[in-house]
Amino acid sequence: MSALTLDRVDVARGGRTILDAISLSFAAGRLTAVIGPNGAGKSTMLDVAAGLRTPDSGSVWLGEEDFAAIGRRALARRRAYLPQRAAVEWPISVERVVALGLTPTLPAFGPLPEEMLPAIDDALIACDLVALRDRAATSLSGGELARAMLARAIVGDPELLIVDEPTAGLDPRHALDAMRRLRDRAQSGRTVVVAIHDLDLALNHADDIVAICDGRLIAAGPRDAVVDEAMLGALYDVRVRLSRDAEGFSVRFMGDAA
Amino acid sequence: MRLPLLLAGFLLSALPTSVGGAEVFPRSPRPMRVMSMNQCVDQLVLALLPPGRIASVTWLARDPEGSLMARAAAHVPINRGLSEEVVRQKPDLVVAGSFTTPATRALLRRLGYPMIEVDHADSFEDIRRITRQVAKAVGEQARGEALIARMDRQLAALARDRGPPLRVAAWDGAGFNARDGSLFNTVLEAAGAVNVANRPPATGYGRPDVEVLLQTAPDLLVKGAGLGRKPSLRDNVERHRLVRRYWDGARTLTIRQAYYQCGTPMVADAAMTLRRELRAAAAQTTAPLPFAPARQL
Amino acid sequence: MSRWLNPLLVALLAAAAFISLHAGTVWLSPALVGSALFAPQTDLPALIVLEIRLPRLILAISIGASLGLSGAVLQGLLRNPLAEPGLLGVTSGASLGAVIAIYFGFAGAFSLATPLFALTGAFLTGMIALLLARSGGTLSLILTGVAIGSITSALVMLALNLAPNPYAAYEIMTWLMGSLTDRSWDHVALALPFILPGLALLLLTGRALDALALGEVQAESLGIRVSHIRLMALSGTAFSVGAATAIAGSVGFVGLMAPHVVRPLVGHEPGRVLLPAMLAGALIVTLADLATRTLVLGGAPLNIGVFTSLIGTPFFLWLVLYIRRRTA
Repeated sequence: MSALTLDRVDVARGGRTILDAISLSFAAGRLTAVIGPNGAGKSTMLDVAAGLRTPDSGSVWLGEEDFAAIGRRALARRRAYLPQRAAVEWPISVERVVALGLTPTLPAFGPLPEEMLPAIDDALIACDLVALRDRAATSLSGGELARAMLARAIVGDPELLIVDEPTAGLDPRHALDAMRRLRDRAQSGRTVVVAIHDLDLALNHADDIVAICDGRLIAAGPRDAVVDEAMLGALYDVRVRLSRDAEGFSVRFMGDAA
Repeated sequence: MRLPLLLAGFLLSALPTSVGGAEVFPRSPRPMRVMSMNQCVDQLVLALLPPGRIASVTWLARDPEGSLMARAAAHVPINRGLSEEVVRQKPDLVVAGSFTTPATRALLRRLGYPMIEVDHADSFEDIRRITRQVAKAVGEQARGEALIARMDRQLAALARDRGPPLRVAAWDGAGFNARDGSLFNTVLEAAGAVNVANRPPATGYGRPDVEVLLQTAPDLLVKGAGLGRKPSLRDNVERHRLVRRYWDGARTLTIRQAYYQCGTPMVADAAMTLRRELRAAAAQTTAPLPFAPARQL
Repeated sequence: MSRWLNPLLVALLAAAAFISLHAGTVWLSPALVGSALFAPQTDLPALIVLEIRLPRLILAISIGASLGLSGAVLQGLLRNPLAEPGLLGVTSGASLGAVIAIYFGFAGAFSLATPLFALTGAFLTGMIALLLARSGGTLSLILTGVAIGSITSALVMLALNLAPNPYAAYEIMTWLMGSLTDRSWDHVALALPFILPGLALLLLTGRALDALALGEVQAESLGIRVSHIRLMALSGTAFSVGAATAIAGSVGFVGLMAPHVVRPLVGHEPGRVLLPAMLAGALIVTLADLATRTLVLGGAPLNIGVFTSLIGTPFFLWLVLYIRRRTA
């Protein structure tokens, strides 16, 4: 399994710098949380990391291969990406939605090949969706839909999984569930990158933390080495109280930085 | 025939609609300067009066496609059917058609211009009636009776020499069938032709479709030329390859709109010309259409 | 159900086609039609079947297929159940092109002018519609269609004012109602070279439309080039609907109805809607053409477009209410 590496990536939009010389590596087998305030460039960085946006300069590498050399369909097979509030716009059955994750491997015409059916079953089982397989995706609850989308992302067993705000709009139980499933994914050796606002979830579930602000890298590395009150305070421009006990981290924001 | 005429009137913007309304009778028994505001009335006025007594006729009177009096119209002024022109030309009598807009007629009545309104004529009886009406209004009864007598002589001559009936399918420039009771059909019958599109299986309103043409197998197609050969959508479908194959050339007779557009005594001339043209065309097409025997199917 | 849907539609279409060859002002027996098809002569039944009804049937099928399929593709592309060539203004754009070609003598000069002009009009209006209706949902889609429709009909009126033919207004009025009367092999030869590639382009978008059910971003992440798909849908629609409109005038609402009728039967998957929507469109237009030939109201035969609009407009209103209820 291969790491994802960004090498001096610049992105500008309308004369404004969105990402400024970002160089970092997302390790395989680890869950990396990208944190930062609104407008920091998290989503843009994820787009670049997913190969959906070509940087203005710099390069992106999956293992030893440059994205530019991988090709669209090949990359789509090796990487899965879930945007914020991913949804389905027709009342398609959950099973068929999950099957859409296999799009890059399907022939141009015809029904789903028989040999792909076990993969779909596995994904449905992994995401506890077996009972919902014939339900219309538009009728699912938020938590169910999040599981369905995750199943569609992992059905092709991609080595790289990138998720933008996996817990947005989910209640605590489903948010924890979503993070746990992403962690499982990382533990099975895949590279998992999530952008996330909820610092409690990020700090308690991620192996690595990447902090960006105004398009610049503030910190990157293993959680315990990177996260402290000073870094978080500088990142969000508020006073932060970070406490840690047997249950894990908890973050409290104390108001404006003095 | 009403609808297409009416429609053409709309488009030409000078000769539109509606029938009836009170007539304002002329002040003097013999109006000296007469103005016509309708394409059909134009021709009556031109036939009844010397150029000196005509204030103006519509510009359409000069179009040989639609007017049987185009040559006479070249010697008189023209108008575009506008009430302002009436005010400027100050005629002793305005002759309006039933297609002149109600607004224009109402305005002229309000301004006090002497005016008569003339119906559209679809039959020879109508023609006699409106000819007498206009002749009386302009004080030329004798000339009017002469025109009618000439028409009746021509019709009698046509009736004496009926010959075998010619089976035709006829439609006008807009693609409307020459319906029963229309002037077009009246002229066709006078010329000795039977329009097969006026009986089943044809549905009567529009041009018969190709299926009906095949089934009824008319000897000739008679088409109104419209206003010249302008590009039209109709050509696109009217020229079905079967029509081209079986009716092109001698079997298609294109006639001037003037033959059937306006009911005046002069259409008897048109009927005589049409008779000659029909017979000449029929003489060239002696071989029956290959599918004609299957007509009894 | 979904496994039997396409064979069922094909069977229905074949039945409609069979009846269509027999029915009309002259009703023919199957024996006569059979001998006309397999032992052609120049007698009445043979001419009627081979030269009138067969080309007309082929046009009805291919025009209906164009409308049904392009409706399904546009709905999948825009993820909006109200997308349709007619409602988006593509048909009126094609009409405008055809009107210009016919009345200003281009069609007389070379016969390919009509489909080419119609295709161009369809492409331009389709491009504007896709740009404007891409985001913003149902309301912006309907408004876009209304705006494009108004502009094109104003331009049609302008073209008519400038047209040298005084009967143009009447002809256009009947033509805009859509008709296949007296269309021949000439029209088939003119239309199919555009319709067939158009249909092929549209059918190729199926897999991408499935992925687009997840939104454009996820579709991109699944390896779909959304801009390419948009261009394919636009070109395919312009080719097929443009040529169809050039030949038959505007036949409304088929592109709306056909996909909706079959969608629940294939589990709402946009890609799987395509083929049955194409067949359903062909079936609807074939039946409408059959109806116009056999039903005569008040002396004048109905136009196809009048017929499809009579069924289509209530359907459209129902759909609007249904969507409002679901999104309210």
